[in-house]
Amino acid sequence: MTLLLQAIANGLLMGFLYALVAVGLTIIWGLMEMINFAHGEFLMLGMFGAWGLSVAFGLDPLVSILPVGLVMYGLGVLVYRLLMRRVQRGDPFTQIFATVGLLFLLQNSAVAAFTSDYQYLTNTLLTRLSGARLQILGINLGIPLLIGALLALVLFLALYLLIDRTEFGLALQATAEDREAAMLVGIRPQKMFAVAWGLGAALVAVAGCILANFFAIYPQVGFPFTVLAYAIVALGGFGSILGTLLAALVVGVVQSVTTVYLPPAFKDAFVFASYILIGLFRPQGLFGRF
Amino acid sequence: MRRLLITLVVVAALPLLAIALYQPAPAANVQEVLIGELLPLTGNFASLGQQYLWAGQTVEDIVNNDYPDLAVPLGPGKGFPGLGGAKMTLVVRDDQSRGDLARTLVEQLITVNKVHFINGEGTSGTTSIIQPVVEGYGIPMACHPCASPTLTEKGFKWFWRTGPNDKTMVASVFSFFREWREHGGPTDLKTIALLTCDNLFCQDNRKIAGELAPAAGFQVVLDLTTKTGATTLASEVQRLQAANPDVLFLVQYPPETAVFQGDAKRAGWMPKVLATSNGAYSDQTWLEAQKKTNGGVGFLGRDPTAIDLVQDRPSWKKVNDIYKKYSRGQNMGELAMREITGLLWMADTINRAKSVEPAAFAKAADETNMTPAQLIIDYKGVKFDKNHQNELATGVVTQIGWDGEKHTIWPWDLAKRANFKIIYPMPSWQERDSKPKPAS
Repeated sequence: MTLLLQAIANGLLMGFLYALVAVGLTIIWGLMEMINFAHGEFLMLGMFGAWGLSVAFGLDPLVSILPVGLVMYGLGVLVYRLLMRRVQRGDPFTQIFATVGLLFLLQNSAVAAFTSDYQYLTNTLLTRLSGARLQILGINLGIPLLIGALLALVLFLALYLLIDRTEFGLALQATAEDREAAMLVGIRPQKMFAVAWGLGAALVAVAGCILANFFAIYPQVGFPFTVLAYAIVALGGFGSILGTLLAALVVGVVQSVTTVYLPPAFKDAFVFASYILIGLFRPQGLFGRF
Repeated sequence: MRRLLITLVVVAALPLLAIALYQPAPAANVQEVLIGELLPLTGNFASLGQQYLWAGQTVEDIVNNDYPDLAVPLGPGKGFPGLGGAKMTLVVRDDQSRGDLARTLVEQLITVNKVHFINGEGTSGTTSIIQPVVEGYGIPMACHPCASPTLTEKGFKWFWRTGPNDKTMVASVFSFFREWREHGGPTDLKTIALLTCDNLFCQDNRKIAGELAPAAGFQVVLDLTTKTGATTLASEVQRLQAANPDVLFLVQYPPETAVFQGDAKRAGWMPKVLATSNGAYSDQTWLEAQKKTNGGVGFLGRDPTAIDLVQDRPSWKKVNDIYKKYSRGQNMGELAMREITGLLWMADTINRAKSVEPAAFAKAADETNMTPAQLIIDYKGVKFDKNHQNELATGVVTQIGWDGEKHTIWPWDLAKRANFKIIYPMPSWQERDSKPKPAS
């Protein structure tokens, strides 16, 4: 029983980290319905940003969240203005090819700038706490992961309030649902999309700053997370911020529990099987509105 | 319908026609020897590819420039003396860590660039994909850091390997375990667990370890294969904790090893012995990072050379200085050493062949008999068996000490020279945290 409870706890903590990664995609794909295959590369840039600021100025990645987030917001807006705006009205395949191209551009630029070496952050607040654990009913909870989970919760809550409870968020939703109608009430769709891309890039870069404490940093680090993030957003439901959070937790727990009882090869198989099942019976996702 | 059938037959026959019509570059008046260097410079295995590229550039530099005091093949003098001073030129292609692209690129290197030799691809999986293509064209080829035994066991006519394969190297680890008991080691190590990733390299290691473990007195209590690129190994650590093996045999790349270390630390788990094979243990950046955390202390693993002893060789130091010109100051790791050793053998063989004709190369390669004095690595020499595997390539076992460096612990004669006390059992995570870190 303890084995199962520990697996669930591990899964929940990992789920929060996955949620962090998926949060940016929630806006770009889940809400604005634009495809971004370079999502993982924004994460990678966030991780390199945290690493660079730590090496150059000794900044802790948790402090780097602010500068990295701001720079990546700018990059997100730039990517929309220079690239995505031009392909937005075209075939979805155009968006796929454009963002796959962006993926290679960003990834290979990182190879050129940083080489393909694996970089590690070793002297940060969270890495210094890496052995610290909280024990509840015989279940170990790693303190750094708990902090990561807490940050994920805060980010999701902030995003939820922004999207669902502010005029700006409603304008974003209106733009996503019917651009022409939004224009009639004075919303400028291009601006909304640019802000959405900026926010999406900034949020995933913030996730990168946190993940840099737990994972090796290298130019190809984003891809496995991108795949999971897409599954999570689709599973949670398009347009549902809290749905994404719950889906990330489900994915974390499914991965964790199946691996305890079955060969690890089934770890992702079950995640994607549940994605297919949801797709068959509830195409809008678990908590999707459209 | 008939027209469609004819079109299909023509399309299918085109590659065969290309091979049939292919003529290797003429041997006479060779101005430069073209080496097709097919590497994973981007994509998942880019960190390996860049080390191999730096190694290739180092050898190109050694061959083309005069290093009078460098006691390695073609160190003194410029170019290939056997070919009238012809230069060596690398024709580098990046396959993006993709086997399908590697296949296309290697055909281009042979048919368009007319290279005389194929070096690559650096990973066993992709090398096994391009081997039949190169074999079809009859061009000599090598992959020296590739360790999968199957690459040479297939008996290809045009493939050579100077480096040891996984059978040799994993066998070293289990020979060490067997003999350790007689050399004052623990006698109560009875169980072993295998935690490996899912590609050809990891699975070859897993199979060999699984075969050798019982003979070394171990019962395999858990055998877990994980996905390359795993983002969490917490549940795997839980299962390891429950199985509680005395020894963990871990074969993972650096990112997954970092994930494993994080999850094992959070769970507060560490086996008595942790043995590895290549992967993170061969990666310089992972090794350097361990110096800041003590995270790698006690990890033991197979290496093709006694890296702590080989650094005393004057030729190693000089080659390392050249290597650092290309590697942004990074020292040669054992992967780079394997690659440089192999490329120097290739250059020496081309020089002895006095020709870039494949048949002449093959003859010279079969006659290879290099001595340890000509090498920057600890092999007993270079001499090929019938499958073109260097039968003098050796494996040693090293362990990471509290100084963050690797120290030779097997074979025993080298271990005696290294004079290092084996760390046993593996230090706990608390002990690692509390002791000073060599690079902090």
